[in-house]
Amino acid sequence: MASTLRLYLTCIRNTLEAALCLQNFPCQEVERHNKPEVELKTSPELLLNPILICRNESEKCLIETSINSLRISLKVKQADELENILTKKFLRFLSMRAEAFQVLRRKPIQGYDISFLITNYHCEEMQKQKLIDFIVQFMEDIDKEISELKMSVNTRGRLVATEFLKQFI
Amino acid sequence: MILLQPHSRFLLQTLLNRVQNLEKAVELDYHWVEFDDVRYHVQVSMKNPNVLLLSVSLPIPPPETVFLGGLPFGAIEAIKASYGVIVQILDPPRDGFNLTLKLNLSKLPPDEEFRHSLLVKIASVREVVLGAPLRLVLKHLATRTVAPDMDQLLALVHRPNESFFLVPQAEKVTVVYPMRFKDSIDTSLATSFLQEFVEARRTAALNNAPPCLWSPTPPQELKEAPAYALSANAGFVSFVIFPRHVEGKKLDRTVWNLSTFHAYVNYHVKCSEGFMHTRMRRRVESLIQALDRAKPDLEEKKKSPNSRSFKRLSLKEAKANSKS
Repeated sequence: MASTLRLYLTCIRNTLEAALCLQNFPCQEVERHNKPEVELKTSPELLLNPILICRNESEKCLIETSINSLRISLKVKQADELENILTKKFLRFLSMRAEAFQVLRRKPIQGYDISFLITNYHCEEMQKQKLIDFIVQFMEDIDKEISELKMSVNTRGRLVATEFLKQFI
Repeated sequence: MILLQPHSRFLLQTLLNRVQNLEKAVELDYHWVEFDDVRYHVQVSMKNPNVLLLSVSLPIPPPETVFLGGLPFGAIEAIKASYGVIVQILDPPRDGFNLTLKLNLSKLPPDEEFRHSLLVKIASVREVVLGAPLRLVLKHLATRTVAPDMDQLLALVHRPNESFFLVPQAEKVTVVYPMRFKDSIDTSLATSFLQEFVEARRTAALNNAPPCLWSPTPPQELKEAPAYALSANAGFVSFVIFPRHVEGKKLDRTVWNLSTFHAYVNYHVKCSEGFMHTRMRRRVESLIQALDRAKPDLEEKKKSPNSRSFKRLSLKEAKANSKS
């Protein structure tokens, strides 16, 4: 199981290294406007082919690139009801703080759990390698955090139950 | 504090303060609310500093429970048995309350320890009053009998407009709780907690604890219960209490733990959510630190004292500046 995670993350890292070549490109339609082309998708010549990387049926990653921006959408594995709720809660918590993260999108794309939007301005401010490191670390951290939250709920439940039942002995 | 304590800490503190300063005449008029909508009112007037009036208001009982004169059956006998002559029940109780007690603080026993335990017992008035019917049933269980003219299925109030059910028999008493929660997150967390109860009971150390079952649909003990009492979004929990769980000193603890089971689960669900929030905030901070490492400019800043260069602030510094 862990081996597929490494492969998945390596594949995403390589794709991002190839895709993160962004340059400034003022809007073609409207004067003096500069918009992330991947969000608008008005001119097909500015867009590259989107790439979908699937780890299994429930985990996938969509990378859409354009000349001045890149959008990464992730779908995280949710095995049962509790994990579903924890994932939604945690990712909503992160999305609400999107301004602090700068590269995070406030709303995920339809069908995915969380999305990033990286523009050429971000690439100018931050080093490309470290940015890719950040994205990959983010993905690992989400997985770790969800499983730790779930384990803490189960541990607490066990403790609460044991203390209660001990009162009767 | 994992378990809920039977005495109200604020009430106990108020009583202890009053008793220690009996000579000083003060005016006290406190109102407060505790979990599951139990309200208290304490009043001491300057004219009679030895007399303390304690009023308690109970959660609204649903129609299937039996309340006589605004109190659960057996409550008045339980109060008289626990408190003796120190406490006098005022009839009618104060407006808006189910029960008013008049305490004569000068008549407290002189012995320090005895006095303290009596005050703790007074601060547990909630357990005495609300737990009275349950205590009656369990006392009969300890002698392996059933109280005369007891219904097959007994409904007792534990939350506003909600009740839990008892099936009293001579050799065992089955207690069934319909678990209801308002929020969908609360419901999933509670469901996983309740399944842990069933799992925990299976471990060898807890063999003597009451058998515990959880089911998403009403169990067959609740066949004759009214329909509106049978909807529960977090399932139904049943405990089977045997005489060994209620003998001697264990009776008080068992009554308290069973009366406040739903509140206990609710309390821990909320604690769990608070803990998750703290964890998530910590994780957000660590991720932002990782992102800051991606910015090269912040590390190389050589400022000479005379130059006026603008330093691009990281998020932490910007926040710190806005706070100061």
